[in-house]
Amino acid sequence: MSVDARQSFATLRMPSGFGGLLPALVLITLFFLVPVVALLLRSVTEPEPGLQNYAALFGDGTYARVFFNTFLVASVVTAVTVVVAFPVAWMLAIMPPVLGSIVFGVIILSMWTNLLTRTYAWMVLLQRTGVINRTLIGLGVVDEPLPLINNLTGVTIGMVYIMLPFMILPLVGTLRAIDPMTLRAAALCGASPIAAFRRILLPLSLPGIAAGGLMVFVMSLGYFVTPALLGGTSNMMLAEMIAQMIQSLLNWGLGSAAAFILLAVTMALYALQLRLVGAKRLAGGV
Amino acid sequence: MLLDYDRMGWLRVVLLGFTGLVAAFLLLPVVFIVLLSFGSSRWLAFPPPGWTLKWYEELLADPAWLDAALTSMRIAAMAAVLAVAIGLFASFALVRGEFRGRDVLRGLLLTPMILPVVVFAVAIYAFFLRLGLGGTTIGFVIAHTVLALPFAIIPIATALEGFDKTIEDAAIVCGASPLEAKLRVTLPSIKIGIFSAAIFAFLASWDEVVVAIFMASPTLQTLPVKIWGSLRQDLSPVIAAASSLLVLLTLFLMIVTAFIRRRFSK
Amino acid sequence: MTQPFLSIRNIRKTFGAVVAVHDVTVDIPKGEFLTFLGPSGSGKSTTLYAIAGFQDPSSGDVLLQGSSLLSVPSHKRNIGMVFQRYTLFPHLTVAENVAFPLRVRRRPDKEVKRKVDDMLALVRLEGFADRRPGALSGGQQQRVALARALAYDPPILLMDEPLSALDKKLREEIQAEIRRIHRETGVTILYVTHDQEEALHLSDRIALFKEGRIEQIGSGEDLYLRPATDFVAGFIGNSNFLPAECLETAHGSATIRLADGSVVSGVKANHSLSRGQKARLMVRPEAFRLTPGASCAELAVEFIDTAFFGERRRVVARTAAGQEIDIRPTSDAADGHGGIASRSRQVFFDPAAAFLFPA
Repeated sequence: MSVDARQSFATLRMPSGFGGLLPALVLITLFFLVPVVALLLRSVTEPEPGLQNYAALFGDGTYARVFFNTFLVASVVTAVTVVVAFPVAWMLAIMPPVLGSIVFGVIILSMWTNLLTRTYAWMVLLQRTGVINRTLIGLGVVDEPLPLINNLTGVTIGMVYIMLPFMILPLVGTLRAIDPMTLRAAALCGASPIAAFRRILLPLSLPGIAAGGLMVFVMSLGYFVTPALLGGTSNMMLAEMIAQMIQSLLNWGLGSAAAFILLAVTMALYALQLRLVGAKRLAGGV
Repeated sequence: MLLDYDRMGWLRVVLLGFTGLVAAFLLLPVVFIVLLSFGSSRWLAFPPPGWTLKWYEELLADPAWLDAALTSMRIAAMAAVLAVAIGLFASFALVRGEFRGRDVLRGLLLTPMILPVVVFAVAIYAFFLRLGLGGTTIGFVIAHTVLALPFAIIPIATALEGFDKTIEDAAIVCGASPLEAKLRVTLPSIKIGIFSAAIFAFLASWDEVVVAIFMASPTLQTLPVKIWGSLRQDLSPVIAAASSLLVLLTLFLMIVTAFIRRRFSK
Repeated sequence: MTQPFLSIRNIRKTFGAVVAVHDVTVDIPKGEFLTFLGPSGSGKSTTLYAIAGFQDPSSGDVLLQGSSLLSVPSHKRNIGMVFQRYTLFPHLTVAENVAFPLRVRRRPDKEVKRKVDDMLALVRLEGFADRRPGALSGGQQQRVALARALAYDPPILLMDEPLSALDKKLREEIQAEIRRIHRETGVTILYVTHDQEEALHLSDRIALFKEGRIEQIGSGEDLYLRPATDFVAGFIGNSNFLPAECLETAHGSATIRLADGSVVSGVKANHSLSRGQKARLMVRPEAFRLTPGASCAELAVEFIDTAFFGERRRVVARTAAGQEIDIRPTSDAADGHGGIASRSRQVFFDPAAAFLFPA
């Protein structure tokens, strides 16, 4: 057999051209694209053709409240996560490997532990008679238990907890890619630690912060589990509202319109992220 | 000098202290839940008035828990195998293939990871209702394979990108057929990627809550659905016992991963 | 006694059980170009880092005009430095990079702008002010680094193998540039390199490092013509070492017997050697001649290979004792083909250009 013939034979058996994508494309088209598009179509066809579902969503104060809550929580969660994650990633990038592997171990343990398990723990910790409130009262910090659960405070604490690893791990990569010599050069140039941080370290980490922050924000926007368990009924978030409209109220038109809005915002931010870091970096960095 | 660990002085003390606090914050719920599962208070008083194993007894006495765990295991295993197999072929095409629109297709295949799960859950729920696949194992497996696929593709494609194709070509020049070269040279070289893909794909299904809530039927429940249902009723310590076993499983997976990575990298 | 400008006093640096720098003491007058030369791991960079403040020495002191630098943090030392790797700030333009040290010193905008222009003119990169470092070649990046390091008129400029990442042609070009800048600015330069040619080309004085100590310090000429040890002789320039036996030493010169039995008198010997002691005679390849001269010693050799290199020829020869040596006589001295062609013959050298070291 000639080399060419063997090559094409091999291409058939172990595709390295377009063919290898076929199974994945079939799966994604049939069981992802088609269902999602079908759902979105329902938002303009049910109960009757038209945009009345969107008009209802944007016209009603109750729904506006949900949108506001969702963006508020996602913004706060992102901001807190960035501020908390940066120093940790900074230390992880330069600390001795033995110490580093312990901290990495803790992060991985937290990240890989079942989501509901972690949320359950926060439900117990944050409740009125929970450990945190009793400790605060015991220390005399507060006189009465703080309302930490069934409200946006609870949701924020729980979400920051979930999101931290997603911010820390990519940031470690960004910080490790910065040559320590650059910071030494800055110091010799006369930059105090504060000036070196503000003018060199922070700007050089900015792409990582932006990419990680955007990812956390997008994930927070559509998060379902934590808000559903730690949030209250009076301040619902978007994902929860979609689920409720469809599962409990069987209002497919309104539910899928809300789903479309969530999808559109997510995809727009995702496109922005691609612009910022490039598709390959994003895929490789997760 | 901000990136010189040995020359940061007081700043290092501050940052290390902060890192320690964050690590404690990350560890807190995990440790707490394990301690709670051995506490004797039904009302989850902490520190508990005494220690007991009765929640584990209650957990094991209820066949619904074991059933749910086995269902989860079965679905996650099938979804992981499918996702890794499909992802392997797709990764070769995405990394090595030369055709138009490759980046767009890459983006498309990774979209299930980006799209809010609740949107997909609602969509696939409606779709399967029509096809009659709602509440079936096959429906679960398909939906979870879609969600697990990006988690399989990313590590495999990353490993494949890091693999120097000339080594595969060298094997072919030495007389191996291209298929043989892939099986004997390329696949062994990217096995860490494949292994990570399997772990991540398995976890993506095993931990999946939202789709599962929509898909579940009274007769077919995964473990997260069972926990979800219990959480909505009360905060029974039995959930803490189940959760502790899940923490144990996570630790086991971490140890296996670390062990295999060490062996592979030698 | 006048106070030295920069004084390195008994610097010692250990990493665990490893001693990187044993005991280094140098005084550097203002405006000098001093090079730390040595193989990698000889402690030259570690000494430089102690001056920059990247590593604290285990003991010893660094004094600038009489006051210790060690307690001063790097960012207040007011020292300029050019690094081995490109350390320009990648998110800033060339002009912003050069302006950086002035901005953190809060100099007025007008002054910053004027100084940046001056500096870019000094390194001949006037048209590149708005480029990013990533868009520059390696040589251009190092010139920007030089401009940045000099922008705040530091009294001392440290250079840590700044040319090692560049190819040979660029290296020579930037060497000339560095010489010119040293001449024009009069800044005191401490330069680290493992390349002896670079050291000879650039420096007023060279400190040759070996295993954490300074083996010899002096001008390039000193090190080449008057090497203190066989290590110096071997490191600077090319050299042949012929095994010898010491017969007599007096007043810095010696009489010896070579392996082939011939006796040579009048070779340089700075070390005290006892009669009959084994020694090594260093003769530079360029010191050999093909024609006899007044008071020349002679050596019987066999030519193995010859090649023409313009001004000089390069001959691989074997001594009667079987040792291969390197001979580089001037081309005209080869005196046509007659001298070169014969395979067995005598070569000659001036004993005063040969050095005796203990074996």
